[in-house]
Amino acid sequence: MLSPERLALPDYEYLAQRHVLTYMEDAVCQLLENKEDISQYGVARFFTEYFNSVCQGTHILFREFSFIQATPHNRASFLRAFWKCFRTVGKNGDLLTMREYHCLLQLLCPDFPLELTQKAARIVLMDDAMDCLMSFSDFLFAFQIQFYYSEFLESVAAIYQDLLAGKNPNTVIVPTSSSGQHRQRPPLGEASVLEGVEASLFSQCLENLCDRHKYSCPPPALVKEVLSNVQRLTFYGFLVALSKHHGINQALGALPDKGDLMHDPAMDEELERL
Amino acid sequence: MIPGKYRSVSGRAANNVNCGLHLVIQTSSLPEKSKVEFKLNKETPSFSGRLLQHDLERNYSSRQGDHIHLASSSMPSFPILQRSSEEKILYSDRLTLERQKLTVCPIIDGEEHLRLLNFQHNFITRIQNISNLQRLIFLDLYDNQIEEISGLSTLRSLRVLLLGKNRIKQISNLENLKSLDVLDLHGNQITKIENVSHLCDLRVLNLARNLLSHVDNLNGLDSLTELNLRHNQITFVRDVDNLPCLQRLFLSFNNISTFESVCCLADSSSLSDITFDGNPIAQESWYKHTILQNMMQLRQLDMKRVTEEERRMASVVAKKEEEKKRESHKQSLLKEKKRLTINNVARKWDLQQHRIPNIAPNQDRKVSDSSQDPSQLHGSTVSAFPEETGSLDSGLANALQGLSVTDTHLVEVDGDTLSLYGSGALESLDRNWSVQTAGMVTTVSFTFIEFDEIVQVLPKLKIKFPNSLHLKFKETNLVMLQQFNALAQLRRVDQLTIDPQGNPVVNFTLWKYYVLFRLSHFSMQKINGTEVTQNDMIMAERLFGILAHVASSELPQYRMISILGDARKKQFRYLLETKGKKPGLVNEENNDSKRLVGENTNRAMLNYTTRDVYNERLEEIKEKKKFCKMYMEDLVKEATEINMKNEALQKLWPQMFIELVRDAVIEIRNKNSYMKLCLQQITDQK
Repeated sequence: MLSPERLALPDYEYLAQRHVLTYMEDAVCQLLENKEDISQYGVARFFTEYFNSVCQGTHILFREFSFIQATPHNRASFLRAFWKCFRTVGKNGDLLTMREYHCLLQLLCPDFPLELTQKAARIVLMDDAMDCLMSFSDFLFAFQIQFYYSEFLESVAAIYQDLLAGKNPNTVIVPTSSSGQHRQRPPLGEASVLEGVEASLFSQCLENLCDRHKYSCPPPALVKEVLSNVQRLTFYGFLVALSKHHGINQALGALPDKGDLMHDPAMDEELERL
Repeated sequence: MIPGKYRSVSGRAANNVNCGLHLVIQTSSLPEKSKVEFKLNKETPSFSGRLLQHDLERNYSSRQGDHIHLASSSMPSFPILQRSSEEKILYSDRLTLERQKLTVCPIIDGEEHLRLLNFQHNFITRIQNISNLQRLIFLDLYDNQIEEISGLSTLRSLRVLLLGKNRIKQISNLENLKSLDVLDLHGNQITKIENVSHLCDLRVLNLARNLLSHVDNLNGLDSLTELNLRHNQITFVRDVDNLPCLQRLFLSFNNISTFESVCCLADSSSLSDITFDGNPIAQESWYKHTILQNMMQLRQLDMKRVTEEERRMASVVAKKEEEKKRESHKQSLLKEKKRLTINNVARKWDLQQHRIPNIAPNQDRKVSDSSQDPSQLHGSTVSAFPEETGSLDSGLANALQGLSVTDTHLVEVDGDTLSLYGSGALESLDRNWSVQTAGMVTTVSFTFIEFDEIVQVLPKLKIKFPNSLHLKFKETNLVMLQQFNALAQLRRVDQLTIDPQGNPVVNFTLWKYYVLFRLSHFSMQKINGTEVTQNDMIMAERLFGILAHVASSELPQYRMISILGDARKKQFRYLLETKGKKPGLVNEENNDSKRLVGENTNRAMLNYTTRDVYNERLEEIKEKKKFCKMYMEDLVKEATEINMKNEALQKLWPQMFIELVRDAVIEIRNKNSYMKLCLQQITDQK
């Protein structure tokens, strides 16, 4: 707990990193809104309940999207809640459209934006035939990547576009003794014929990106792993690979492994009781 | 020899019928051998009876021929007829030549006084050689092969002309026969009634068994009393009202199928006897009373007397039909108006849904179009349908009609269904509905109204129409499963119909299960016409049960209360308080609310706020959020300051401690001076 890094940070930064202020602000806001009811059983109890629910991950239920998006923990909790509530849908084997999944999301968050769901669907469907049906697990994992790492993915998309267009954003920083350097970049004409970008080049750019954005990006090692298996890849190919990678899922910690996706004995028990 | 009193025989019921022939042929004692009976060959219903009589006659007629000598004349084709002078004197005014196998009319010499001439049952093809018989009154050419009426132009005194059972194709050449009383043309091939307008003395006209397809051209027959048109192909009848004396009209076995085709009969005041049997019209259910109603003057129909009872029935039925027609006309008018209004509402709805925001001139045009159309519609549907104000009681047991019809919305109560078209119709729920009307309504149908708007009036619906069990939604923009949460506030819903048109939510695979899950306390029977099975309910629970569980159990209490809202707060608190009590102590009053709460609590978290209301709320919170942020910032500032101070203290403390100790030690080094110092301090204190 009293690690030196923690104490090395100045106050604001420390608070910001842990998003303490977000939760404090939200708590006080909720307190203000429900003054009459809370005054009945005391402020202390309220705060206890609030932070308990934050720890359990139930604080995001039926909240507005701006709050859900605010911190990584919120996002992870939301993913987990979504999984818990609608796992049964997946278990039933129904294939649903993007709109229907969006509907389910809206049940938990009334103002969840459609664009996010659309982007997630694009990952599953490889940007093709947006009206196709998707399985629960496919959608869930893609949605996880899209939602949890949305800012990261935007930056990646920008980098990808640049690479496609032939611009290398890292011309300044490319180290001289990189292992991927010996591979010549194909001339512009060829790049447009071949699909996607070079994996290694892409990997380098992403590494730099991860360094710059310390937060909210997948573990760089795992990213590298994903990219080392192929020579060329498209943007959506990369995203699909990310979504299916077990390691990343585990690092996130919100959802169980794909194999265990349908298992939740605690909830099943509850279900039996109903 | 002289036949019995000449009387027209026309069946059993014709006792009171007298065609008033003035030709009376006296009876006198007849020697047996020459007894002959002349009967008018009229087509009668008992025709077979007539035949029998003819057969009888045959026995007599042959004897008549004994007295006739048919000598051959100078002209090879025409025989000359001569009678013995004895006969001439005896039967000076009549001559019978029936069954003489004549193929032509013989020349009749020296019989200028002849008044009665009988050529029945021969093979005569042309009427000839009788022009000199200018006193002829009665001419019988029944059952010959005559193809054309001719050779009669000199017979100005002719009163009875019998041309039945020939091959005549056309009525013609009767111009001079102005005294004609009886004209019998039955059993011919006549297709048209013509050239009879001058026969103003004609009383009986028989055109049965011809090829007539319609009846007209009857003007001029001012004396016609009886018109026999049986066994033709008549489809319509006209001009009968121009016959001032017509009493009997026989139209049996024709092709008349509607009353309109014989409607002129209604205008004939003289008609008392009519037959329609054998026509298609006689098979209709409305036949008898329509005829009786339209022809009040009738005494006999199809040979049966018309009784007073029948007449009364006919008028009653006719009145009812009139009313029905009027009613249906009114209904169709209303329906038309309704249809136009609904079209208008639909158009407005479409515009609303697919409005293109950028193209300003187009939009203007669209707007002006839509503003023109309503005014046009308004102009075209100018009917006096004023807005109904006040209560709507009605004595009629059957359907109430459209109550309020304007151009932009439509409200209609039809027995047990309340239909609302267009968002303006929602205001009608505020009206004073009579308890009877409102109580009968079990189905409420919404069309062309945004679901979010409907949600806001659901409480009103609950109060005003307590028996509404079936809700129908069409073109109401149902897009989210969440919207169904709003229906939970109703008292009870048995059936739900969501029309796919205009409701995208129906395209979802899970929508029915969600409805069943969220509205499980209604125990719905049918969704979109299909019965709800136990399996459906189980599946719904299985799919969404966890959601309910999570919503109710994992939310902190203050959240639950805030979501439930004020109305439920009390119920919820009550439930919390009574959790500890024994179940038996709960009293009757609270049973209802308890049941509701008990069933719903875990679902009640799932409610629906319309998009606008939600955004409003978020806006309101913004202020609070800003305040909170500032407040927290202040707190943080304070905390960091304190923290800094704390840290600073931590750093400086060792040094400070050492100095403190050093100062103290230095002070106590010299015991005596320290003692003096302390005493000094104590005395100074006073």
